[in-house]
Amino acid sequence: MEKNVALIALFAALIAALGLIPKITLGFGVPITAQSLGVMLCGTILGSKRGALAVLLFLLLVAIGLPLLSGGRGGLGVFVSPSAGFLIGWPFAAFVTGWIVENWRSAPLTLVAGVASIIGGIFLMYAFGIVGLSVSLDKTLIEAAGLVSAFVLGDVIKAGIAGMLTAALAKARPASVLSRADVI
Amino acid sequence: MISLTSPTKTWAHSWPAGAKLAGLCIATLGLFFLQSVPVHAAVFAVVLGLYALPGRAFFVSGLRKLQLLWPFILIVAIWHVWSGQMAEGAAVILRLMSAVALANLVTMTTRLTDMIDVVRFLARPFARFGLRSDILELAIALVIRLTPVLIQKGNLLSQAWRARSRRRAGWRIILPFTILALDDADQVAEALRARGGFNT
Amino acid sequence: MTLERLNIETPNASGSQIVLTDLCYSVDGKGILQGITLKTSAPRIGIVGRNGSGKSTLARILAGLIEPTSGSALVNGHNLAKDRKAALAEVGILFQNPDHQIIFPTVLEEVSFGLRQLGQAKKTAEENARKTLDAFGKAHWADAYVNNLSQGQKHLVCLMAVVAMQPRMIILDEPYSGLDIPTKHQLTRYLSRYQGALLHITHDPSDLSGYDDVVWLEQGAVEQSGAADVVIPAYVAQMNTLGGSDDISDLSH
Repeated sequence: MEKNVALIALFAALIAALGLIPKITLGFGVPITAQSLGVMLCGTILGSKRGALAVLLFLLLVAIGLPLLSGGRGGLGVFVSPSAGFLIGWPFAAFVTGWIVENWRSAPLTLVAGVASIIGGIFLMYAFGIVGLSVSLDKTLIEAAGLVSAFVLGDVIKAGIAGMLTAALAKARPASVLSRADVI
Repeated sequence: MISLTSPTKTWAHSWPAGAKLAGLCIATLGLFFLQSVPVHAAVFAVVLGLYALPGRAFFVSGLRKLQLLWPFILIVAIWHVWSGQMAEGAAVILRLMSAVALANLVTMTTRLTDMIDVVRFLARPFARFGLRSDILELAIALVIRLTPVLIQKGNLLSQAWRARSRRRAGWRIILPFTILALDDADQVAEALRARGGFNT
Repeated sequence: MTLERLNIETPNASGSQIVLTDLCYSVDGKGILQGITLKTSAPRIGIVGRNGSGKSTLARILAGLIEPTSGSALVNGHNLAKDRKAALAEVGILFQNPDHQIIFPTVLEEVSFGLRQLGQAKKTAEENARKTLDAFGKAHWADAYVNNLSQGQKHLVCLMAVVAMQPRMIILDEPYSGLDIPTKHQLTRYLSRYQGALLHITHDPSDLSGYDDVVWLEQGAVEQSGAADVVIPAYVAQMNTLGGSDDISDLSH
């Protein structure tokens, strides 16, 4: 029990930290914010339930007024801004990502975690985000989708990185990849 | 970890947080039913007035928080100028700014402890699903305490990378970073158990 | 790097010219280093001081990881904060906690990293990394997972990763924290063989036996600097005196 609480709290802190340390580069000099990568990792490493709870805890802290979003943003304002849909989608993204990693065992972890991150962290998250954007900016879903299309490539790369990181963690510290632990 | 509550004391700081939040929900919902530009402009003017009341520092700090909206304002402005529907564009932009400004106003005038009281209150109906509010509060405290520690470790890793490279840290440092977080979780769990655990 | 030499002193080690001129560093209005002026090219330099005296900050400035707020820091004539290319060739730095330093999961990857960042191709970097492991007698560590190593072993991995890049000087920022006595002695032995300069930062003067020059930092300024056998006794005397006081209660810093 204490272990679960500690893990959920620490991964919420991890999402915050990934938004607040100096930007990491993708490799060809493009800086990315690693925060949504943190959401994917909550799913791939902690699994569906704990991963979603970690993200929910993180969002709760942002809502009560802590500047934990990348750029030091926070407070209630971000939950009524145009990007609020994405934020609301985060816990669902982590859940679905974790669920896929937990249940799809027949392929190498890099692939599974990467695909899970794409399905949860991109398809699902963007679905929420696009709805939120369309409501907020009074645009059709198609128009809203067009507005965010430029960011998909960066997120696909993040999903690939999430896959590689998860597999590397499984090799370095097998017991810590809870999404693959046999006892939940 | 400093919260976004404004240090400038205002009349609203002492209002009950629950009432402010409820009011915010109603106001935000209401904003989405308003259509005309003059009404939206009036609402935004009122919001600006609310920000101006506590003084210049509060006003400036509050407006600065609206900066996160500029890409959206720009996109909407360009879109609607190009399509000729200026009024609709103005309404969207004003509505956006009013909603975010009102929400931030609540954040800036509510202390963290008061927010956590609201969380405790809202968590009560979930107790039947196993959500213990004392554990939730502990979790909140843990994240607040541990985020700066984790950030510091992240900075050390970034520095260790730069000590051997001319480039900024790449995604690879997220691996040792995650391992540090996992190790911290182990230590925290141990500390919790040593102090009595959760009696479950 | 020869394995046969077992003496602490390395007569053939060469020093790097370190010139600090009125070096100041402050962050958020808080002064951390004030007006440090220093000149030394001894092969074995120690920096002592209490925790919080600015030693680690000085180490990072000397490694070029932080830019001074004012004044200058030159190593062999280079401004390492501005010239990162020279920095990698001039200085390697070993931090306190290997868990906050080691980036890669296996020993070989960790040791090869710096070499790849120096521009070597993957194969070349790996070969040179293996040569370094060999020189330390640790060829069998190549595929070991860092997470399975002991603290002392991790420290050694960090050292090898730095040595592989063959910098002219290695800065050691309290590298012995938390290590047991035998591990300390063993690491000291490995360090002592380094042919380049060593700049060792510590609050414990017993780590510095055989060192040439020592600088004593007190609250960000140079309290005393000169020959080790002059500065260290003075430092130890002062530390013992302070032990009788109660400045631990002080909240003002």
